[in-house]
Amino acid sequence: MKKKLVSLMVITTMMATMLAGCGSSAGTGETSEPEAVVNVEDEATAESAKPSDGIPEVTVWHYFEHEADALNKVADEYNASQDKIKVTCTFVSREELMNQYTIGAVSGELPDIGMVDSPDMSSYIALGVFEDITDELNAWGELDNFYEGPLSSCKDADGRIYGLPNNSNCLALLCNMDILSAHGYDAPPTTWDEFYEIAKACTDSADSVYGFAMSAISNEEGTFQLIPWIYSAGASVADLGSAEAVHAVDFLGKLVDEGIMSKEVINWGQGDALNAFAAGKAAMLESGTWQISQIDSGDVTLSTDNYKFALLPKDKKNASVIGGENFGVCSGTQYRDECIDFLKYMMTAQHNADWCEIAGKLAVRSDAATLKDFWTADERYAVFNDSMNYAVARGPHPEWPTISEALYTAEQSVLIGESDAATAMKAAAEKVAPILEANPIAQ
Amino acid sequence: MNKKSNPFIEYLKTPTGKKNIVYSILAIIIAVVFLFPLYWLITMSLKSDSEIFGKTLTYYPHNFSLQPWIVNFSDRDFLQSLRNSTLIALLSMLLSMLFGIPTAYGIGRYKVKGGKVFLLIFLVTQMLPASLMLTPMYLTFSRLHLLGTYFAPALAISSASVPFIVVTLRPYFKAVPVSLDEAARIDGCGVIKSFFYIMIPAIRTGIVTVTVISFLNGWNDLAYSMTFNVKPEMRPLTANIYKFISKYGTKWNCIMAYGAILVLPVVLVFVFLQKQIVGGLTAGAVKE
Amino acid sequence: MKNKRQRQQALEGYAFILPGVIYILVILGYPLVYNVILSLKNTNVKNFAKGTSAFIGMQNYSNLFKDPTFLLVFKNTFIFTIACLIVQFSLGFLFAILFSKDFRIAGPIRGLVLVGYMMPMSVTAMLGKNMFGVSEGVINDLLLKIGLVSSPVEWLVSSKTALGAVIAVNCWVGIPFNMLLLTAGLTNISQDILDSASVDGARPFQRFWYITLPLMKSSILAVLMLGFIYTFKAFDLMFIMTSGGPLNSTDVLGTYAYNLSFTKYEFSQGSAAALVLFVCLFVVGLFYLKLITREDD
Repeated sequence: MKKKLVSLMVITTMMATMLAGCGSSAGTGETSEPEAVVNVEDEATAESAKPSDGIPEVTVWHYFEHEADALNKVADEYNASQDKIKVTCTFVSREELMNQYTIGAVSGELPDIGMVDSPDMSSYIALGVFEDITDELNAWGELDNFYEGPLSSCKDADGRIYGLPNNSNCLALLCNMDILSAHGYDAPPTTWDEFYEIAKACTDSADSVYGFAMSAISNEEGTFQLIPWIYSAGASVADLGSAEAVHAVDFLGKLVDEGIMSKEVINWGQGDALNAFAAGKAAMLESGTWQISQIDSGDVTLSTDNYKFALLPKDKKNASVIGGENFGVCSGTQYRDECIDFLKYMMTAQHNADWCEIAGKLAVRSDAATLKDFWTADERYAVFNDSMNYAVARGPHPEWPTISEALYTAEQSVLIGESDAATAMKAAAEKVAPILEANPIAQ
Repeated sequence: MNKKSNPFIEYLKTPTGKKNIVYSILAIIIAVVFLFPLYWLITMSLKSDSEIFGKTLTYYPHNFSLQPWIVNFSDRDFLQSLRNSTLIALLSMLLSMLFGIPTAYGIGRYKVKGGKVFLLIFLVTQMLPASLMLTPMYLTFSRLHLLGTYFAPALAISSASVPFIVVTLRPYFKAVPVSLDEAARIDGCGVIKSFFYIMIPAIRTGIVTVTVISFLNGWNDLAYSMTFNVKPEMRPLTANIYKFISKYGTKWNCIMAYGAILVLPVVLVFVFLQKQIVGGLTAGAVKE
Repeated sequence: MKNKRQRQQALEGYAFILPGVIYILVILGYPLVYNVILSLKNTNVKNFAKGTSAFIGMQNYSNLFKDPTFLLVFKNTFIFTIACLIVQFSLGFLFAILFSKDFRIAGPIRGLVLVGYMMPMSVTAMLGKNMFGVSEGVINDLLLKIGLVSSPVEWLVSSKTALGAVIAVNCWVGIPFNMLLLTAGLTNISQDILDSASVDGARPFQRFWYITLPLMKSSILAVLMLGFIYTFKAFDLMFIMTSGGPLNSTDVLGTYAYNLSFTKYEFSQGSAAALVLFVCLFVVGLFYLKLITREDD
């Protein structure tokens, strides 16, 4: 890569000087510029593996933000504990990271270890981004301690394992108790009926306060926030055309129709919805585990300290959805064994518990969950810990992105009044059915 | 009747104009409507956070604040993007001028076989949409390992700027009197010397136009930089707009300050070089 | 002797011309041909790396025309282009006539209005996204204050109004552009002709219809065709302002092709969509070329 770049540089510079040489002083400006380019290029490729102090460097790509310190801490400890490799963690934003993996599959430029959002893991496995490390992990003998849901997202249809889950999160309901009690409610809702009643009562269109906010954006975040409603109504991704699934989407459509939820949620990511809640413009929010640490770190300033988390309201049953990140060893790394060793180190019960405490996440190992008490002692985490019992996984399915698109498209068309819930969900079911028929979701 | 008229109305009058007051009012209305978005961009960028999140929309900054600009200029990512924008724009400008100007000169001043075909090639390529070039260029650049370098977007952008330069400068070169460079040749100037010392200075206006426009082509580019440079630290300001929109959430004052900084070079160029650019832009596009 | 001088001249000419021509042929011609080849294969991210893609003939094109989203996108692109052309040409022409009049502030204001045209489209789009906001947008605020509407318009969150908002923003850019080019055409009409017509008793409208318009025919055609070419390939505006949403209601060929190639990584399918875009442009482009190359024969 360097060689080609340099030769391109030389050619350009040569041409520039050749022409400029005939002129007066224009030469200096033209030739100095490309050199600056090369310098930046050096910085940009510095993350690729190269020996420093004789120890090979292994790169980990992640999109952790406030959690990054916790990750670096594990890496530093690991680096101090052995002298075979030096682990370096590089932040790449989530969207870019996904592009990078896909491009990496084209160009072969991948990190040594990569982090990935759990529902996407399956499609990257299918693309060949990750190494099959089943045998090494079985030999490790600790897989039984991992929760089934998160671990299943690291497997392909044949049950081969390509990585380890790192943390879990799920969704719950966040209530602004100032607004709720102002309207005579002192507890969060538990059922859809109560939820609807409270949300309606708390809506104050004159003051632009909505009863409820969520994300219904046209990407995975929208699907993530939609899934609990569908499962709570008693449906699943496999029967999107069912009366239950239609009921769920219809319910959300009604919220928008009656002005209880802003129609702008179709353009809101989860961060935007949190911002609306934080500004006091929504009484209730469909909120994720990670948002606790965003609040605690001052990343987001809530308009009130009087807030409360609760399980998402239930229709037929309690439901939530599992999110979280996995780490896998990328194909083509020169340090396969060392990378697996680091993964195992990072994911021991103790390290997983320590990491989750700093990052504000839920553990993925049953034996890690018993090591710390903040999951139960902090009542906010306790809600999410409880919610985890009802949380469903997305996929795993190599064509999850297509399934996801069908889901958020149906939801959006109902929320903006383009079609009714029955028609929209029927269309979604027709798109998803052939995919699941060819390749059912492994449970 | 008060004979003493308003000095502004006096100013609007030209020696020959009669109905100029009606025209002036119309022109001012148009200016207000068309400049309002720009005014809005600046106004929003000077509001404090509390004003942005206030319940009522304000039409000028009640709490004047430079904070949104400071937030941007003290952000390392922003500065890196600003640097990327500048480098990509300069690099694509240099590449474009390097190939564009001599070709415009050649087509404009030499009678060669196929001259018309060459001109046609540039007229066609000027129309090619970025969306068409993205996929094949992306796959080609990935094989050449150029993705993620400043060269990928700069090369792609120059593919639009070179035709623009050729089409725009050709009439300029054509209009230079033949006697001028013949005189230079007689004085013993070589071809290259006369190109640099006689022709280029003779069409200064045109050169200014194409320099500015090919810089702005690079500065304004979104599609190529966004697609070829997936790493945010290599992306210019335009392509990182998304990142900053989500980073600032609904803090529109910071987002607007970001936009205002992006627009700044355009406004500066216009204030100082309006005449040349207007002349240059129309020369190539419409037959005279 | 003369022959030698001619040959020398031609050599010099080619020396100046060819580097640029070769550069463009390599950097644009090659991808163009590659794009056509791609559109006939089944290349995607999975088989590109392995090199196992194969020719599948016109399959990608028939997939496109069977896809209801593509047909919607095709329709959107034409509605967007034609609406923009009508608005920006008629207003651009009126403005051009106004600014060609002899009054003091004509020059400065014409210059100021042009800034919108030169701004990065991504900033314009971002600004449009803010101004057309439902609850916090200034346009709804103004409309409510004037009393033109009684409740906020849903602009970018409704599939019925989103395209209209996008068209409005594009016209903000397009009107100055049309005005600029038409002003050039107008100033080329000699004042003598118009003056002598007035002496002969022609009213202003007659002068416009029988003298100005015919004299500007080629300018007008060029502006319309250039306008079509620039509007039809729109990408940045939708990408930033609406991402093609809600529900593809502002999705156009440019964004649609991009998403096929770079969010779904179906490179061949994306190439086919981009080529459909190109063919539409090319047809109009041919007329433009014919018009503009009529000079200097």
